[in-house]
Amino acid sequence: MQDVFDINYLRLFLGYALMLIPIGILWYYKTGLVKDTIIATLRMTVQLLLVGLYLEYIFKLNNAWLNIAWLIIMATLATSTIIRRTGLKYKYFLAPILISTLISILIIDAYFLGIVIKLDNVFDARYLIPITGMLLGNTIRNVIISLNAFYNRIDDEQNLYRWYLANGATRKEALLPFMRDALKKAFNPVIANTAIMGLISLPGMMTGQILGGSNPNVAVKYQIMLMITIFSSGILNVLLSIRFSNRFAFDHYGNLRKEIFRMK
Amino acid sequence: MIQIQNLFITFGNEHIYEDFSLNIKKGEKIAISGESGKGKSTFLNLLTGFISDFEGDVFVDGLELNPKNIYNIRKKYAWLPQETALNMQSVKDLFFTPFNFSLNKEKRPEQKQIDDIFTAFSLDESILDKKVKEISGGQKQRVLLASCVLQKKAILLLDEPSSALDKRIKKRVTDHILGLKNTTIIAVTHDEYWMKCSDKVISLDKDN
Repeated sequence: MQDVFDINYLRLFLGYALMLIPIGILWYYKTGLVKDTIIATLRMTVQLLLVGLYLEYIFKLNNAWLNIAWLIIMATLATSTIIRRTGLKYKYFLAPILISTLISILIIDAYFLGIVIKLDNVFDARYLIPITGMLLGNTIRNVIISLNAFYNRIDDEQNLYRWYLANGATRKEALLPFMRDALKKAFNPVIANTAIMGLISLPGMMTGQILGGSNPNVAVKYQIMLMITIFSSGILNVLLSIRFSNRFAFDHYGNLRKEIFRMK
Repeated sequence: MIQIQNLFITFGNEHIYEDFSLNIKKGEKIAISGESGKGKSTFLNLLTGFISDFEGDVFVDGLELNPKNIYNIRKKYAWLPQETALNMQSVKDLFFTPFNFSLNKEKRPEQKQIDDIFTAFSLDESILDKKVKEISGGQKQRVLLASCVLQKKAILLLDEPSSALDKRIKKRVTDHILGLKNTTIIAVTHDEYWMKCSDKVISLDKDN
């Protein structure tokens, strides 16, 4: 197998020069996003470098409790990002979304690592951490889109929701069209992305594995499994997040609480 | 059928209802009138449980209005909203959606019932094949009213039921709805003919 070319710091710096394109375009159209883009890029760099350092240690130690603790930290950060990006309040959504995220990754990780790959130790850092990271990274977008679609649409179309309730719908029946809409909005892009995988886009993980020296066949098999686990954990997380947060987002009469929104 | 005692509703600093009491008998036809902001729609929103912050006792068919009873209370209603621009694609959905709920499934109307009510409301049945955006406000209002009537509920709550209807159709629709025996009807309305045909008119312009 051919050795992997390392990217030295000078070349890494050259790579960063590509960021001048988005920054230039965002600046030209006065989007107000230049500062955010620079901060996001710096954050990404620092975070990945730190994670690189951290993962080196965590892989060496490979302690189950430490790995689980890291997983909980990742889930908490993912939850925090979700809530911040949805415009909903932490007070009502932190607990239900964190619990949903943990349950969904627990189920999918256990199935994938324990049953599909059949690891002797499902807490093995080399598998548990990157795979959970992939699941969380992809789930965040699904949950943000679906929570926004669900709660904002009920708020915008309060009249429709009330019409259902006051004409005999149970709460579950009244929420069903909004749930359907949220799932469609969140998963239509996932389905489209899944359908073109390999033809138009080569996924990051597979590319990474191939660049890292893995056999392309092994990389493809992992990628297929990852696509399926990402889809499953995403939809599970969306469903649980909406179902669990319903308990806090509606009053005892089934009315959506206005105070769940940060901005409205 | 409906008893309201010592009702207080306040929005901010504004007292919408202050010590308001009302008894509505079974089968009674009530018209609620008044200027904007006097709490007409609030009254319907209270009965449907869409206002959870109130003081006083409200009973609907013997059930106290509270979170525990709200579903059983809502079972008794068919509700026509003032804003009929519900986000639905087809007129068929607008008409049949309430009959998809488990509570109303058995009441899904047969063809004869649809024919009769559409005739009474001057609606052509081909309207069911149209898109909602293709029909007028008055047609939407009549389709929703027809759907409410066919649910055969004990209580109809109607928010401006004739506001988009022309004079001739207004009379036909009003006569049909207010002629429903044993159905309690509470309508928020500015329509003089509707008020004239109702058993009681409650004006909210006076102090509650």
